[in-house]
Amino acid sequence: MTIAVEQLDVGLRRRTALGWLVTPAVLVAVLVALWLIVAGRQLDSIEERRVNLAFIGVAAMEHLTLTAVSTLLVLVIAIPLGVLLTRPSARRITGPALAVFNVGQAIPSIGLLVILAIVWDVGFWPAVVALVAYSALPVLRNTMVGIQQVDESVVESGRGMGLSRLQVLTRIELPLAVPVILTGLRTALVINVGTATIAALVNAGGFGGIIITGLVQNRQLVTLVGSVLTAVLALAIDYLGRVAEEVLRPRGL
Amino acid sequence: MNFFRYLSSRWDDLLELGLAHVGITVLAVLIATVLGVGLGMLVYRNPRARQFVIGTTSVFLTIPSLALFGLFISWMGVGTTPVVVALVMYSLLPIVANTIVGLRQVDPAIVESAQGMGLTRVQRLWRIELPLAWPVVLTGMRVATLITLGIAAIGAYISGPGLGNEIFAGLSRISSPNALNQVLGGTLGVVVLAILFDMFYVLLKRLTTSRGIR
Amino acid sequence: MTDTPPIKIRLDKLVKRFPGQARPAVEELSLEIPEGEILILVGPSGCGKTTTMKMINRLIEPTSGRILLDDEDVTHGDPDKLRRRIGYVIQQIGLFPHQTIAQNIATVPGLLGWSKERIAARVDELIGLVGMDPADYRDRYPKQLSGGQRQRIGVARAMSADPDVMLMDEPFGAIDPITRDRLQNEFLRLQAEIKKTIVFVTHDIDEAIKMGDRIAILREGSQIAQFDTPERILVNPADEFVSDFIGRGASLKRLSLSRVRDIEPSTWPTVTVGDDPAVARRTLEETDRGSLLVLDEHGAPRSWVTAEHLQRSSGIDGGLPVATVGSAATLSDTLNEMLTARYSTAVVVDDTGRYTGVVDIDTINEAIRGMRSAERERQRSSLAKGAAT
Repeated sequence: MTIAVEQLDVGLRRRTALGWLVTPAVLVAVLVALWLIVAGRQLDSIEERRVNLAFIGVAAMEHLTLTAVSTLLVLVIAIPLGVLLTRPSARRITGPALAVFNVGQAIPSIGLLVILAIVWDVGFWPAVVALVAYSALPVLRNTMVGIQQVDESVVESGRGMGLSRLQVLTRIELPLAVPVILTGLRTALVINVGTATIAALVNAGGFGGIIITGLVQNRQLVTLVGSVLTAVLALAIDYLGRVAEEVLRPRGL
Repeated sequence: MNFFRYLSSRWDDLLELGLAHVGITVLAVLIATVLGVGLGMLVYRNPRARQFVIGTTSVFLTIPSLALFGLFISWMGVGTTPVVVALVMYSLLPIVANTIVGLRQVDPAIVESAQGMGLTRVQRLWRIELPLAWPVVLTGMRVATLITLGIAAIGAYISGPGLGNEIFAGLSRISSPNALNQVLGGTLGVVVLAILFDMFYVLLKRLTTSRGIR
Repeated sequence: MTDTPPIKIRLDKLVKRFPGQARPAVEELSLEIPEGEILILVGPSGCGKTTTMKMINRLIEPTSGRILLDDEDVTHGDPDKLRRRIGYVIQQIGLFPHQTIAQNIATVPGLLGWSKERIAARVDELIGLVGMDPADYRDRYPKQLSGGQRQRIGVARAMSADPDVMLMDEPFGAIDPITRDRLQNEFLRLQAEIKKTIVFVTHDIDEAIKMGDRIAILREGSQIAQFDTPERILVNPADEFVSDFIGRGASLKRLSLSRVRDIEPSTWPTVTVGDDPAVARRTLEETDRGSLLVLDEHGAPRSWVTAEHLQRSSGIDGGLPVATVGSAATLSDTLNEMLTARYSTAVVVDDTGRYTGVVDIDTINEAIRGMRSAERERQRSSLAKGAAT
């Protein structure tokens, strides 16, 4: 998945305070509805093993951990790499590097996960590698774009004042690039939540596991619960990401 | 078995799966284009409508594919149908967003002169605004195609068509000697398709964009 | 009133009120636009002139009032059909970048159902009419044209279906002054041939005076401060608003409306190349001017010679350079030449370049005096007739 879409200026207004409350309200309502559906049904043994708070709690933790670790690693790897690729010395490799990453984006996530599972092992860490590989490009691209779109004249005045290249980078370019980078990070987060779901297929746990059990054992309720929980989790994380973007945006931008 | 020997023995199966993969991708992107461009044309001038449409389609894109499949199965069963519906939903955001941006980017002076000349609303949209927005819309279609190729592979899990079936076959027989070959076959097949589609889009862009705006 | 052509466009009590505005943008405007003339709507920014013009082709719908085209009420009915009868040119032109010049121009005729042959012929005709080579430019794209060329094609496109009426909103505003001057002159030449009814909006009073057959000076709310020919407005501004808008130098602006052929030039003693220098010296002594004008064999002015020059060996062949003006030159351009010319005098030449007279500061003064007395005479006679101006 690419982030080209996120950067487009679709001409949306900033949300009002009320607007920010809509999403959590809706998500909570959905969870409540789900609860009501489940509570009203008599669960058989298979369903019960999955659709109980303890199990769900564990699955949630697995899913979140996988997502968080991968996103953190992407942050640590892709942002510095992105910065490096914008430096004049890297100009020659930028083109080919991006081309390689773009091709990499074409690799289906499920394929990468299974390959790693076979070649390395099933479980947590191979899944992390796959998630990082898969969500690195948006962050990389956004970091590069974010830095490159900083107004030339601002950079020039910085150099003119006597700031070194590094100082210009840390004090001017990076802060001004923060909003775009944050958007990239949020995109990576959402991608990771999604890929982590599939990672359940290679024993990485998470909500995906619930869905799979439901499919495999042909229990529609379990599938439903797993799907709804996954969707709510993804939307919740996206929402929190947007809040963070808004809060962390430097004043004056 | 060596991967290349594996390929040569099973290339016809892979080709068949590849074609099925292409088929479902093209179907989904076409439907999404018709719906998405239409939606974009309806809402691009209205801020509230824009917000609603963009907001809704991004929700689709945020929900992980497996979850969406799970939600659809109880309704549509397994197989091609739920996969196509999900793929269309995923493709909507890039196409609608790009349609809106493309249309909004058209120089207002051009639209005003067209209106002043007596072109009706429909004529303006069809002859002037859409052709000028087309390159941006094509980019949206390109993004949608890439997304679709990847998710279609996952769709094989619920009996959808395509190369994903090879990947899942390899997964289910994970300890067998051919497992890796199968997974590689499926995965590389998707990559090849992605590259081919990309080249196709470059060609399409050249062919359908007027020389005046290249 | 002096002979006015039939009325092509009648604006009857037009009002435009935009939501949320205290004052209407156009407050009950009534105007009669004669056929075959260029009517300029001019006024300060925000006075409503563009709004008024856009109501004529209903790009802006009037809040109340009527628009009559050829005595036909077009206020209601299909606006798109109305616009295909009216040419429309805006400042940014708005050529369709994805279509060739030919396709751009062919748009309205295509909508009206003309045959392909007729359209193709018309396209070529129009490209030629605006001074460009059809074979060369027909298949080009707007991005390949310069700003001035695009503006010409914009005008050509507006004329494509041969409308009787054209609306032009600051069409030459976005161009450099040199090209603008040229385009204005060409447009005036074109209009002399085609005689369309043109409503032209500008904020530039000099452009208004140059281009307009009649000018409506508008104040806020699109209220008419004065509606008259350029000469009469310059000589007789209706009130302080109008004279402020005209700005200083109204008399000088007047001069741009008269041409050299309209006035009585003075003469200057001449001598021809090849004449006997002794004769030249005697002619010079007999006049009270300090120099002679030397003409060549064809009668074209070559130089000024003074007594000093005649004493030198070069004689009549020497001398100082001469500034010349043609008979079609405006008095203001002539004044320009005179200010830097020898003896503050410009020599008038005919189409073949032959000397016909000179214009100096006295000549100009005479001309202005003549204009003023003619105007006083006109006012006296119109008051006597009892007619309102």
